[in-house]
Amino acid sequence: MSNRTLAIMMGAVALLIVAVAVVFILVLSGGDDDDSSSVPAGTSEASSGPEDSGNRSEDRNNASPSVSGICAENRIIVPGDSPATVFDPIQVGDASTAEYTAEIFGGLVSLDLDLNIVPDIAEDWEVSDGGRVYTFFLRDDVVFHNGRRVTADDVKYSFERAADPANFSPTVLDYLGDIVGVRDKFNGVADQVSGVEVIDEYTLRIELDRPVSYFLHQLTYTVAYVVDREQIEQDPDGWTRNPNGTGPFRLKVWRPLEEIILIPNDRYHLGPPKLDEVKFSLGGGSLLTRFENDEIHVAGVPGIELAGVLTGESPLSEFYRPVPQLSIFYIGMNVNEPPFDDPLVRQAFALASNREAINEVLFYDALIVADGILPPTLPGYSADVTSYGYDPDRAGELLSRSRYAGNMPRIILTYSGTAGDSPDRLQALQQQWEDALGVEVEIEAIEWSAYLRELRRGTFQMYAAGWIADYPDPENFLGKLFASDSRLNHTGYSNEQVDALLEQAATLQDQDARYRLYHKAEQIIVDDAPIIPTFWTIGHYLVRDCVQNWPDVGTIVPKYRYIEIDASRE
Amino acid sequence: MSQGLAGYIIRRLFWAVPVILSVSILVFLLVRLAPIDPIDSLLGLRYDEEMAERLKAKYGYDRPLHIQYLKYVQNLFQGDLGVSTRHSDFSVAEVVIPKVRVSAGMGVMAIALAFGLGIPVGVYAALMRGTPIDPLTIGSWLLIDSIPVFVSAIWVPWFLALKLGWIHLAYEGVLHPNILVPVLLMSLPGVAGVARLMRASVIQVISEDYVRTARAKGLREHTVVITHVVRNALLPMITVIGLSLPGIFTGSLFIELIFGIPGIAAEALAAVRAPDYDVMLGLSLFIFVLFILANIAIDIAYGFIDPRVRVGAAKGG
Repeated sequence: MSNRTLAIMMGAVALLIVAVAVVFILVLSGGDDDDSSSVPAGTSEASSGPEDSGNRSEDRNNASPSVSGICAENRIIVPGDSPATVFDPIQVGDASTAEYTAEIFGGLVSLDLDLNIVPDIAEDWEVSDGGRVYTFFLRDDVVFHNGRRVTADDVKYSFERAADPANFSPTVLDYLGDIVGVRDKFNGVADQVSGVEVIDEYTLRIELDRPVSYFLHQLTYTVAYVVDREQIEQDPDGWTRNPNGTGPFRLKVWRPLEEIILIPNDRYHLGPPKLDEVKFSLGGGSLLTRFENDEIHVAGVPGIELAGVLTGESPLSEFYRPVPQLSIFYIGMNVNEPPFDDPLVRQAFALASNREAINEVLFYDALIVADGILPPTLPGYSADVTSYGYDPDRAGELLSRSRYAGNMPRIILTYSGTAGDSPDRLQALQQQWEDALGVEVEIEAIEWSAYLRELRRGTFQMYAAGWIADYPDPENFLGKLFASDSRLNHTGYSNEQVDALLEQAATLQDQDARYRLYHKAEQIIVDDAPIIPTFWTIGHYLVRDCVQNWPDVGTIVPKYRYIEIDASRE
Repeated sequence: MSQGLAGYIIRRLFWAVPVILSVSILVFLLVRLAPIDPIDSLLGLRYDEEMAERLKAKYGYDRPLHIQYLKYVQNLFQGDLGVSTRHSDFSVAEVVIPKVRVSAGMGVMAIALAFGLGIPVGVYAALMRGTPIDPLTIGSWLLIDSIPVFVSAIWVPWFLALKLGWIHLAYEGVLHPNILVPVLLMSLPGVAGVARLMRASVIQVISEDYVRTARAKGLREHTVVITHVVRNALLPMITVIGLSLPGIFTGSLFIELIFGIPGIAAEALAAVRAPDYDVMLGLSLFIFVLFILANIAIDIAYGFIDPRVRVGAAKGG
């Protein structure tokens, strides 16, 4: 091999190496163009480190003194999901983006930690014309993050913008569609939302198509938040990168895929936050390992790890916090399809379901057996409503009296999933039904978008489903899922008495009287059994001891301004 | 000679165009004809016919398929890969490029590590040929490499983070030390392969005449090994490196999911699930173009090494 050939070969190798290096540099140069300091990897001088967890933390401190002291600073680090949309309140449709948006922006009213409606930008309001007209009196000390004062014009602009068809808000009709003119503007019939009227600088009048008693709840959703017209007009494409809201926190850093850092809005009108910083860590490995490793203050417990934490075997059990959610799992039955068009069959299936056993054996009691539809932490929940308990004998008896006794058609239970193996809880139900009723139900999986489509079309005979509250009001469960004219009523259930109760409750102003009507409707629905309510869900969290006032609230509310870090508690 | 090479490269690139176009048609059809509908997932339970029609019109899904394709290609030539429906109208480039950066950064480090470990191991094993150390070295690396990533990716971080307290698992970007463990786990399965190739290559070179000559000249053994044996034995590794280049950009699904690293593989999975038409298309084309370019690059490298390839091509072969 001559020297020349050798030189060429080495040249080729060098070329490749250079090429790889160039790609590497190109790839990385764009990635980190900020100068924010890296995470202080726990300077351990500030405190003596975790002491409350016994030998385990001692071992860890011996191995590496650098991983303690997460509670030394006045900030909280929590895992977060990457926002699915930009921080534009009218575009937000997913829970993760809503969580950030709720801290950065605010609306006329808000929810407190007990899910009550509380004043935000509006300090007071009057309801007139039988619940059809709301007059809001705005605070005069509300400012955007940049210091500009918020007036009724800003609120009006925000509603107009939400309804503008050019903005394609996916949620405006669902939450603000009852306001006179929102639908017309959204459908291009009108250029103004006529139902939103500025009376003076700090007074706003909103007119509804019909009385809607849960209207204030709808106003707590992000689509009703107030945005800064000046900023949006100046920078229509980039304003969401540095949103100028009225919320308790300002966006300091948003490094996509890595972290979101919020800092307090010191002029927040309801009292500034107590933390110096909230850091959402968007990527990273196992939450439990990171929690145990003192990297984060709060972690959700994944299902697979739940058993160890619940039984107390895991050393993390002492940090465990169950947070009941505003959601329910249920089995839906199509009341227009045989055999579920006979109420006796539906009731028999409900009576044959041993939900307690499933909860105990499969979930270590990590769920709550749904003795009704409205979850226990929902304002308006009633413990008096009861669902069908496990009674296989009565189930068999009801079935034998039904129209389909002896000639049961094929029954298919559909769920959304991609795996060949159906969820344990469905297999358990399948077995229970076979044992008690002698009916063999087939279980079928279907891909998510197809599941939604068929659900909408009402083609399922029987299906596994869930519902998460959009806003904490009984209407959001009962009205949405069971009113004859609701497009979310997928069982085809229709009961005149229930419809009348729901209609009446939706327009009533007296809360207690409303709730009573809902309870009545709820009991009728449960007895008619278009669904078998199975479980209310619980969120499973680990929270460090130094985190004070972490709210056990099962839905998205602005919450970080209440939280404090108490270093002495770790 | 350089003219011939340039012509060869141009011809290769020229032929890549129709191939890429036909692949784009195929991928486009596969994506669009699948029984999944992004509008369904976008609107979810709140589906409304009118809203669906408006969204379809917005994204152009209401037009005939061939018009949609032509529009896509037209935009493609203007450097526009479309918009992501899953990420609420971020452009495909905005969604994909940061994730490609992440995966590519990790991929480069993982390949560097795999070769950086594999080459010395291979040389060492070759020099120890005939002793038990040779099979022991290669064998132990084979053992390490045969542990599936989804097993090691769970136990290794648990051990390093909790038992030893050496590492953090937060994702802080590709340039942060936290990335080292996932990179290590990604590269390990490649080490044994590289080592075995290198070993074979060294063994072949070591019996060449010029090595014997070098030794006969009285050069010191390590000079012989480094300047004569290793250098020449490295040549076949070019192909191996070249072939692994596209893999850099495609990421490792297990590693990305387990370590919560926002890379391209996890995005691809989410795009298929959503579904997100333009992201699926963009990613497929991107990866395909990479493979074509890598193949061309390898051919060119061979051209340097072995002029016969070039000559054959010039003759129309």
